[in-house]
Amino acid sequence: MLTRIVGGRVLDPANRRDAIGDLWLDGDHIVVAPPDGRADETYDASGCIIMAGGVDIHSHIAGANVNTARLLLPEQHRAHATRPAATPLSNAGWSTFETGKLYAQMGFTTVVEPAISPHHALHAHLELADTPVIDKAILAILGNDDFGLSLMRDGAGPNAIRDHVAWTLQSSKALGLKVINAGGVAAFKDNVRSFSFDDVVPHYGVSSRQIVKTLQRAVHELGVPHPLHVHCNNLGLPGNYQTALDTIAAAEDLPLHLAHLQFYGYGAEGKQGFSSAAPKLAEAVNAAKNVTIDVGQAMFGQTVTISSDVLRQFSARGQARPNKYVIIDGDANGGGVMPYNYRVGSFANAVQFAIGLELFLLIEDPWRVFFTTDHPNGAPFTAYPDLFALLMSRDVRAAWLAKLPAEVESVTTLASLTREYQWEEIAIVTRAAPARLLGLKDRGHLAPGARADVAIYRPGVDLAATFRGATRVYKDGECVVTDGALTHYRFGRALTVAPAPDRTMIKRIGDYYDERYGLDADLLRVPEAALPERFFETVACLN
Amino acid sequence: MTATAPDSAEAAVWIDGEPASFDLAVSQAARLIGDSAMAVFAHLGTDTAGVREAVLLAEQVGGVLDHASSAAMLANLDVMRETGLMLTTPLEAAVRADVVWLIGDSVFEAWPELESRIVARSRRSPAENAARRVVWTRTTSPAASQLGATTCTIGEGAERLVHLASLRARSNGRPVCAGDGFDAVAAILRDAKFGVAIWSAAELEPLAIEAINGLVRDLNQTSRFSTLPLVSADNGAGVEAACAWMTGFPPRTGFSRGAPHHDPWRYDSRRLISAGETDCVVWISSFERGAAPRAPVHVALCEPGVAAAARVRIDVARPGVDHDAVLYDPRIGALVVQTAARSQDKPTVAATLAAIRAEIGSAPC
Repeated sequence: MLTRIVGGRVLDPANRRDAIGDLWLDGDHIVVAPPDGRADETYDASGCIIMAGGVDIHSHIAGANVNTARLLLPEQHRAHATRPAATPLSNAGWSTFETGKLYAQMGFTTVVEPAISPHHALHAHLELADTPVIDKAILAILGNDDFGLSLMRDGAGPNAIRDHVAWTLQSSKALGLKVINAGGVAAFKDNVRSFSFDDVVPHYGVSSRQIVKTLQRAVHELGVPHPLHVHCNNLGLPGNYQTALDTIAAAEDLPLHLAHLQFYGYGAEGKQGFSSAAPKLAEAVNAAKNVTIDVGQAMFGQTVTISSDVLRQFSARGQARPNKYVIIDGDANGGGVMPYNYRVGSFANAVQFAIGLELFLLIEDPWRVFFTTDHPNGAPFTAYPDLFALLMSRDVRAAWLAKLPAEVESVTTLASLTREYQWEEIAIVTRAAPARLLGLKDRGHLAPGARADVAIYRPGVDLAATFRGATRVYKDGECVVTDGALTHYRFGRALTVAPAPDRTMIKRIGDYYDERYGLDADLLRVPEAALPERFFETVACLN
Repeated sequence: MTATAPDSAEAAVWIDGEPASFDLAVSQAARLIGDSAMAVFAHLGTDTAGVREAVLLAEQVGGVLDHASSAAMLANLDVMRETGLMLTTPLEAAVRADVVWLIGDSVFEAWPELESRIVARSRRSPAENAARRVVWTRTTSPAASQLGATTCTIGEGAERLVHLASLRARSNGRPVCAGDGFDAVAAILRDAKFGVAIWSAAELEPLAIEAINGLVRDLNQTSRFSTLPLVSADNGAGVEAACAWMTGFPPRTGFSRGAPHHDPWRYDSRRLISAGETDCVVWISSFERGAAPRAPVHVALCEPGVAAAARVRIDVARPGVDHDAVLYDPRIGALVVQTAARSQDKPTVAATLAAIRAEIGSAPC
């Protein structure tokens, strides 16, 4: 079916297009206008802004840890509406169905679940298969697993490391590799209570720095488009900006992605020993062209923190609100789930809120900063519309700052920042840049040949309302959202890379599982047959 | 209600005791379920695909989901939802635990592989060679010598709570009176480098589980200790997982008010049946040696060995035996695909429920 969207402002920074014009969709792709100019359906988008579907690079939407959070907090996600006839279970609070609906209604069409332990990859994909509309992907976690750390300890060469990473990505059906407090989670099992970049994992003799650099190189050499996705050590601790600076410096010239940098933007200055170090981090990011970051913006309200940084979650357990938490010592990373309430009246929470915005506003190149809240850790993804408004309007920021404790202004620079994101920059940080960084050539832009994932917004005075419900959303060319409401389900795919490990590594891993656990390693692989037909879509590696 | 147990070993589908075609049985089941005011999907012994379809069908008809092991799973969840839990995996317990603390009499019955997979398995942690110590607190003095376990005896019910509390107090060095062997056990727990407490929630009340977790939290102030609640039979953890991601809640969730609501008392299938609050019981029991309903039901999707009397009875294939299935693997603590040893032609629970759902109305998912 040929669809013509006419009269809207087509905003496509990847192709340097920003003009009123037509957009043509044929089936699931964007096409050039046909010679006869005839369409099966024409949508008048006059007064609207047309962008590619949103791409969220880091949002904890599925998997065993998210499911534990659902079970931990039944009081926080009561169903909120009666049964919807066309979209069953989309009213069930925090169900996968609701997640897909809410993302789609905001105009997002691709979401990456960034922290899946390989042993739980099948579980994650089953949840993602029940998440309607959006396409999705997982990042697989290494860096605290016995097999990988043992390879490093024993001086296995780069080939073996690469093969292990390839096996992990392939058997988990992941789009990329994540490392979370490299070595620190393994060390916690040996009762280590703090772990920095140059600390050494007991019994393995390797430092966090070595683990990060080893995995960074392996990912790069395998040609996985998305660089190693790093959750640094010392998350959440005053003075931890130095850990982030050390990690950036260690990246040298190879690509590296730092996740939720806001949580590392903490100085230890001021009367309360807690201050913003965002300017220092922004300066480092501005200088390191090989480094990309996502922000992990905090927003006020009740949420839950879900992290595979078990050491951090355990250390922060006293801050749980309400006072309950789950700590899982997993086979490698495990998880920690802890409800948390970001309060407007809290000095520390207000500083966190300011730091995220400072990073957005002080990092100059929007192509290297990605919009995230580390959902749900900084805020649920449903806070995005309010945050877009904060980025686009200094007046909205001033209104928020006025509500916060006065000391915040003395330890952050937010009040002095006048930059306002333009629509084009929103399109970059939520579409063009993340799609490019993930290696998704057919997403994040609107050139002919791109996937027909399109979001149409009608800008109003209330920018948050504009983003909360897109006027129209097309997924693979099919209109699924009209006037901010999901009309029906369709189900997307999971994006993976498939670098091939050497056969000797497959045997070696098989022997390891057999000897160590008495298990067939094949049990840990994600078989395609367990998921819907054509669920997986392979993204090409760079070599 | 009239219901007859199947009497033909040949037939695989019966309506009111008479052999019938699958299609006819599906139509009849659809009528019973579709016309009901409150259908209960009980026992729920099925794989991930089966529970997915049960959730979708329950949503469609305003029904209730309950699992055979809900009571045990909710005992653990009660504690989690009140205070949280510290957990580990069976694999990590096997390779790392220097102390295994068994609580209750039934742990080996709850998971027959517990001894070979964890208790008697040699450690593989980086700090190898340290011997594993086993502690067993149970109601009778155990014949535990073959495990080399240090033991202490705890009571049942209220007495058990007192004993666990005094063990917690002794492990914290509090000067309370405790029974024989408590100090020896407390010392081992306190000295553990990475201990793991193991129990079956079918045996313990939530307050006992909370007491164990309180002790574990105390130990973690200075050392490392975690827990491994043994999972329930009939794929309880797998059913709980899928139910949670689809509805937000574990079983004992109902759709009688449109949106999903979770209520451990209201949606207890046994209570609903005995109180006469349900007008349609759908009994799903596809695992070998699965339980049969106590009284005739309306629709039974059971493996052939389950003697369930029902208006509509459809023999179904066994997950992981007759067909590949996603199941919770207690050896790993995760969902895995169990590959069928042989395939046979009985319908799966998922396919049967999907056919019933299609018959009742549109099938949007």
